Amino acid sequence: MAGILYLMAFVLQKESQKADEYLREIKEQSLLSEAVRQCVEAAGHEHEPETQKTLLRRHFTYRRNDNTHWFTPSLSQLLSLNFPPEQFVSMCRDLRVLNAVRDYTVGIPLTHTQFKQMTVQVLIDRLVYRKLYPLAIEVCRYLKTPEYQGVSRVLKHWACYKVQQKEESDEVIAKAVSVKLADAAGISYSEIATKAYESGRTELAIKLLEFEPRSGEQVPLLLKMKKSPLALSKAIESGDTDLVYTVVMYLKNELNRGDFFMMLRNQPVALSLYKQFCKHQEQDTLKDLFNQDDDHEELGNFYVKASYKDQRLEARVALLQSAVDEYYKAKNDFSAKTTEDEMRLLRFQRKLEEEKGEQLVGFSLHDTMTTLLSVGLHKHAEQLYKDFRVPDKRFWWLKLKALAEKEDWEELEKFGKTKKSPIGYLPFVEVCIKHHNKYEAKKYVSKVTPEQKVKAHLAVGDMEGAAEAAIERRNESEISTVLSRCSATTDHLLMERLNRAKATAVKK
Amino acid sequence: MAHTEWKDAPGLPDFSLLKRLARDQLIFLLEQLPGKKDLFIDADLMSPLDRIANVTILKQHEVDKLYKVELKPIVSSSDQLCFLIRPRIQTVKWISDLVNADKVAGRFRRYKIIFTPQKFYACETVLEEQGVYGDVTTDEWNFYILPLDDDILSLELPEFFRDNFLEGDQRWVTTAGSALRLLQSVYGSFSKVYGIGRCAKMVYESWRELMEDGEQRTRQPEFAKVFLVDRDVDFVTPLCSQVVYEGLVDDLFRIKCGSVEFGPDVTSSDKSIKVMLNSQDKVFSEIRNEHFSNVFGFLSQKAKNLQTAYDKRRGMDIQQMKAFVADELKGLKQEHRLLSLHIGASESMMKKKTKQDFQELLKTEHSLLEGFEIRECITYIEEHINRQVSMIDSLRLLCLLSITENGLLSKDYRSLKAQYLQSYGIEHLLTFANLRQLGLLEEQQAGETLTVMESKVGKLVNDKTVGKLTDAFSSLAKKSNFRALSKRLALVPKSGEEYDLRVPRDMAYVFSGAYIPLSCKLIEQVLERDGWTGMEEVTRMLNGQEFAVTGGSSSSEARSKTDAQRIVLVMFLGGCTFSEISALRFLGKERGCRFIVVTTAITNSSRLLEALLDNSA
Repeated sequence: MAGILYLMAFVLQKESQKADEYLREIKEQSLLSEAVRQCVEAAGHEHEPETQKTLLRRHFTYRRNDNTHWFTPSLSQLLSLNFPPEQFVSMCRDLRVLNAVRDYTVGIPLTHTQFKQMTVQVLIDRLVYRKLYPLAIEVCRYLKTPEYQGVSRVLKHWACYKVQQKEESDEVIAKAVSVKLADAAGISYSEIATKAYESGRTELAIKLLEFEPRSGEQVPLLLKMKKSPLALSKAIESGDTDLVYTVVMYLKNELNRGDFFMMLRNQPVALSLYKQFCKHQEQDTLKDLFNQDDDHEELGNFYVKASYKDQRLEARVALLQSAVDEYYKAKNDFSAKTTEDEMRLLRFQRKLEEEKGEQLVGFSLHDTMTTLLSVGLHKHAEQLYKDFRVPDKRFWWLKLKALAEKEDWEELEKFGKTKKSPIGYLPFVEVCIKHHNKYEAKKYVSKVTPEQKVKAHLAVGDMEGAAEAAIERRNESEISTVLSRCSATTDHLLMERLNRAKATAVKK
Repeated sequence: MAHTEWKDAPGLPDFSLLKRLARDQLIFLLEQLPGKKDLFIDADLMSPLDRIANVTILKQHEVDKLYKVELKPIVSSSDQLCFLIRPRIQTVKWISDLVNADKVAGRFRRYKIIFTPQKFYACETVLEEQGVYGDVTTDEWNFYILPLDDDILSLELPEFFRDNFLEGDQRWVTTAGSALRLLQSVYGSFSKVYGIGRCAKMVYESWRELMEDGEQRTRQPEFAKVFLVDRDVDFVTPLCSQVVYEGLVDDLFRIKCGSVEFGPDVTSSDKSIKVMLNSQDKVFSEIRNEHFSNVFGFLSQKAKNLQTAYDKRRGMDIQQMKAFVADELKGLKQEHRLLSLHIGASESMMKKKTKQDFQELLKTEHSLLEGFEIRECITYIEEHINRQVSMIDSLRLLCLLSITENGLLSKDYRSLKAQYLQSYGIEHLLTFANLRQLGLLEEQQAGETLTVMESKVGKLVNDKTVGKLTDAFSSLAKKSNFRALSKRLALVPKSGEEYDLRVPRDMAYVFSGAYIPLSCKLIEQVLERDGWTGMEEVTRMLNGQEFAVTGGSSSSEARSKTDAQRIVLVMFLGGCTFSEISALRFLGKERGCRFIVVTTAITNSSRLLEALLDNSA
């Protein structure tokens, strides 16, 4: 079919009347679009630009006013022919590119099939290999290759080539590169810099890296170039902790310890990260670091931590002693004193462990006393109470709980009578009830302060007493509390009394 | 009143997509190591993994045996070992030791480490240092986000809090940025981003960089706005006792990765039951946001309804009965089971929480928040410590006291600290050091010292770092200014007014009407003002670092009132509590929008403080 069309075009060119006939014949067979398609394809396989033109043009032509006036049809005309224009358009583009590379100055004679087979990407690569950068860029732009794969890539290759030109100075090259690449998207300056470094131009590489917006890309190369201080500050600037780690770890292996520490000292961020690392991995290094900074507070904390990891008592005490010294140096008297107390406690615990065979080492002061009381070593508990200036309240709570736990009611009663309880007597009542000993609990109810009387009576389940106390105090909310605990069936009379009292309390 | 769906609620995006993506990638990675293999999983990845791919799926992809990483020598006969771990130096070191031990024993195996959500150079460095870099292959499983519920997304990184805020290690910042990037690429871009806090700012920067690197996708966004907030902007809220049902369950039973284990005291049998707690649970979804005091009444009403539904059976003929069994019985049975569990749970809570102790504890907390009867509070705390009531609770009260009072008086600080150490041991010296560093528990002191130190150090380093250093110092010197903030933002409603917890009037209901969570109040204010204007004083007191950025893509046509415009993504860096989530749900309902919470992890007072203890590491 295309043949007829071609023939027709040929005839038309010769201004022959026969053309119309041919055209009509094709139209009749409604094969025009197929013919057109074939022609477009045929054009692709033609090497001679003139023939290509003929093939592409003539199919969509018609004659106007008997003049042989050939048009490349407009889009709408093509559509009216029911022929999709994309193929035509892309063929035109392809041919233009092919013709350009077939030019003798370039000399890549490709057929259209070859071109399709190897793709634009490869063609651009070939152009790049031949250092035909301008042409490659033109091709990319013309074919509208996405910038990332197209222009930017060519520019990158160009830049990589450029940086290897020995005759030009660093400044000139860096400037040229930055100007050319200024608004190209997705350029990796670090790759170009790597090239520069590989061809022995470290200074140029550093200059180029300045253009790299992503610190993550700068750092590895800087390390490779042994520009570690720069790498470190770049990493820190990036705010990417992971990157800082990379550099720090690299430096740790690369530098001797002294230099390494010095470098970290000037970079607080890196230093704090390294400390974190050491906390998990290298405790001793951590100590050295604190020492170097004269950070006595942290050293103190360090020793305290080390002390409770150590199982042996002597070692623990020794570590705590170091902690005490450091705390004093840090002028932290509180921590120092506390730590000294701990050492005393440890020694005390050890002594008792040996004497009484009771497991004590490592307990807190509170727990130690509780244990002592629970095994009946009251004297020793008292000794701790005095030696460690334990607040009265704490001691009373503690002893109360321990004795009740043991259900040593006799001892509890004695204890309650030693002096006036600093915590009041309600806790005595409550602790007895907790251990289901109402009998003992009742002993303390009378000792409870008036404010807590109602609660105490309620705790032992003495409704009458509670009511009595509440009414006596004329306290509305207490009366209500008692009321809420009364049951309508058994405490009927009581409730009446309470309600009356409540009414008067409210009036007042 | 039940928090059921209100009409006209914007629909939420489908987050199960994230799970599917994660699963597909994991399967792909497992298939990279063909053949039978043993899989070692980091302990804290177990539950999240279970939500993505269960054992059956793993077995389908030739995982032979599953082990938990315990940092001990292993017993495995497999020739292929695969490790699924968080990028932690310790774990990588352990793996290196394994590899080296195998080498010594002349045993040949293949090893593959899958880091999730990403690998760190530091880990690779360890492999290199230990001389096993060539023996193992490494990969990344970009499992950034686990959807815990329709509106809760979690990064499941509890260590984010300690690493970032205490240790100053910002490695997770990029992770948070990548998580946002992932959300954006799946659900479309955001029109506006607000934030406050140093970390929030860094996360935003990292996210922006990632956006610039990758290709831009323009599509109808499914969220309108994003709000980033640092945990250290508001420490008060997570330190308060939670009284909303879900929060209380978390405080008492510890919700782990969206599921909770109810012990025998709840199930009233001799075994524990694991329950998933999310909106799928019809009973739970109705009570999760309720103040605890309402829950019991609600549940008993529900029980009555259930009984009525059962009772319908009476007087049915055969046909009706058949239909009843087929259609309703299963649902009723299911509801029955859930109902009895939640009733059990609330009974157990009642037992613990209506006790005198808890009432007094709450009273003290409320006094602290109001700044009322501080002396009594200190006495209470002292007694709390002396009686060894609870190690964490005592610490929590101390911190709350310090923050609300802008630090403790020297005398009080020393005496309370000494008493605490007597109760719980000297190793807590370190805990106190940590708390001080974070500004959670401080001694009031003459303000000059820090500034002097800052200028001294400042001289030693170059200009660029000075800026960062000043930041660090200012966060060190952070004064909580809680009292002033509370006044300014009206966080503590006037006392004396009756607060009906069944009909909440503001977000304060999540704390029995005593306090509106600061974090949520900030979000409310900023959304209302569409920025930080007019809040200068507040941000100054919060140490600044606030920002508001309009996204590039939000042109006027996206302004149309689509559902997406009414969905707000809130990202908590360092964890958020269930109380805050409940408060936001309430706020959303009030304002006709929905909040989606993205958090580095779910936290509460215990988790927060346990992360700061120093006796484990």
